[in-house]
Amino acid sequence: MKRGNDFVVGLVVIGSVVAIVLFALWLSQASLGSKQRNVVARFTDVGNAKVGNSVVIRGVQAGRIQSIELEPTGWVLVKMSLDPDIKLPSNPVVVLSESSMFGEWQATIMERAAAPDDADVQQQLAQSGAVGRGSALPGARLPDIAQLTAVAGRIAGDMSRVADRFQVAFDDRAANELRQSIRNFADLSAELERTVRTQSQGLSQLSSDVHKTVGTINATAVAVQRTADRVDSSTSKGQIHQIMDNVGQASDDIKATSHDLRNASHSLMATQQQLTSVLTHADSVLGKIDRGQGSLGLMVNDPTLYQNGDALLSQMRELVAEIRAHPRQYLSVKIF
Amino acid sequence: MNVIEATGRWVRFRVEEAGRAGRFLEEAALAFGSVRSWLPNATLQMRRLGVDSLPIGLLIAVFTGIVLALLASYSFTGAVPLYFVGTLVEKTITLELAPVLTGLALAGRVGANIAAELGTMRVTEQVDALETLAYDPDSYLVVPRVVAGTIMFPLIVGVAMIVGLGAGWLASIGLLHLSSDEFLKGARMFFSTFDVEYGLVKAGSFGFAVTLIGCYKGLRARGGAEGVGNAATQAVVYSAVMILVLDAFWAMTWLHGRS
Repeated sequence: MKRGNDFVVGLVVIGSVVAIVLFALWLSQASLGSKQRNVVARFTDVGNAKVGNSVVIRGVQAGRIQSIELEPTGWVLVKMSLDPDIKLPSNPVVVLSESSMFGEWQATIMERAAAPDDADVQQQLAQSGAVGRGSALPGARLPDIAQLTAVAGRIAGDMSRVADRFQVAFDDRAANELRQSIRNFADLSAELERTVRTQSQGLSQLSSDVHKTVGTINATAVAVQRTADRVDSSTSKGQIHQIMDNVGQASDDIKATSHDLRNASHSLMATQQQLTSVLTHADSVLGKIDRGQGSLGLMVNDPTLYQNGDALLSQMRELVAEIRAHPRQYLSVKIF
Repeated sequence: MNVIEATGRWVRFRVEEAGRAGRFLEEAALAFGSVRSWLPNATLQMRRLGVDSLPIGLLIAVFTGIVLALLASYSFTGAVPLYFVGTLVEKTITLELAPVLTGLALAGRVGANIAAELGTMRVTEQVDALETLAYDPDSYLVVPRVVAGTIMFPLIVGVAMIVGLGAGWLASIGLLHLSSDEFLKGARMFFSTFDVEYGLVKAGSFGFAVTLIGCYKGLRARGGAEGVGNAATQAVVYSAVMILVLDAFWAMTWLHGRS
């Protein structure tokens, strides 16, 4: 019985111990017996990276973090075990970052040129690369979610304060005033648009006029130029003096003509006065005639005289005819 | 006046109890040195306390793993990726539930068994007979049980961890339609060998406490069958309380502050 107990207990103990050890190794993905390549990286800060976290190259898991040690100098050395067949980049750096939003970290081995273009990361890489060059890969740590959320929280707080202040300043009255200001601004904008359009048209017209004026000025300038050329030409041939002499002679002629005209004018004035007097008399005569004064007035205004005259003429015509017909009856010419 | 006397009696009783427990612990520690006395009986106790307790420990682990997987799925749906079911099952089983639930179950089975057995020996004066025959009861009765409990509890708990995680794995595949790779990804994501070490050490302390309390209460049994019954009851209650106290102790001293 005792030996049976010993066997059973021994079996259970050995089996349990082996099972537990294998269970832990299997879950931790430890590789027993296979050779591993160790790579060390130096960091100023490793964030929340832990022993056992994944090491990734080009997005593929290539190993695990084996140890994290704090050096007396203040640097943190992270030792990583990698598959020996994996080839590292030519200028490798190690960047620690969160692999998920739930706090798991990973170490990514990448080309120096492919490192995030962040000033802090670049500074960390430069600092860690400068210390003990060649002994450990340069390392940097990206900010974790907590830091990002802290920054986001600060920004949200600032925005909240700004929003509060804005809310205080922006009450209903301010909103109405702002609305009115917007309307006024819209009206002003429309008015400005109209003004600009009008001014634009005026400017176009002015521009056209100016263009025409410039053309005219150009033509005038050409004419002036021509005239100047002629003057120059005339001056050069002595024709100007002749012209001036002719002009002086013409001026004398004009002066004489003016004198004659002045005399003629005086004569005309006298003639006018005489004509006026004649017309006055004529008017007086015509007035008398019209009023029936005098013989002519009576002749004009009294038909009897006309009739008498007409009758007389008829009688005289008859008498003449009678005389012509019987001259001896009326005429007796005696010579002695 | 009666109140003051009652208070005085209660304090004196507690101090005497603590003193007796301290003396018992000292005698057991001294008896640990006589290996020839306790080693022949250790295998038998390991069989009775450990190997024979495996079924109950594994049964608890199976159901714990299944329930944890379903519980995690219920809690995570829509908020957290489902592969975190593996993370939660692994962490909870190894760090807490396997040691504590198995410890509580064994406290009932082992603690009561030891207290009843030793209590019966006490009230039937078998312990006195051993003393008369110059056998040290501590090295002959106590140390083999304490050693067996301290060794076998972690082994039972370790196997319970494996079985619990396996049950959770199978439940995730069969009931939650989670792929095996996803579950393992979650289980391995935050796994650390420390989780297993912590659970096993905690289980060892539970085994030590449960067996020691069972022995103490059994050897302190008085008054026949009723005294044996009381001893068994007290052993279970004190063991359960001590498991929870130790659980908090390890969490505060070893887990807390560890990153």
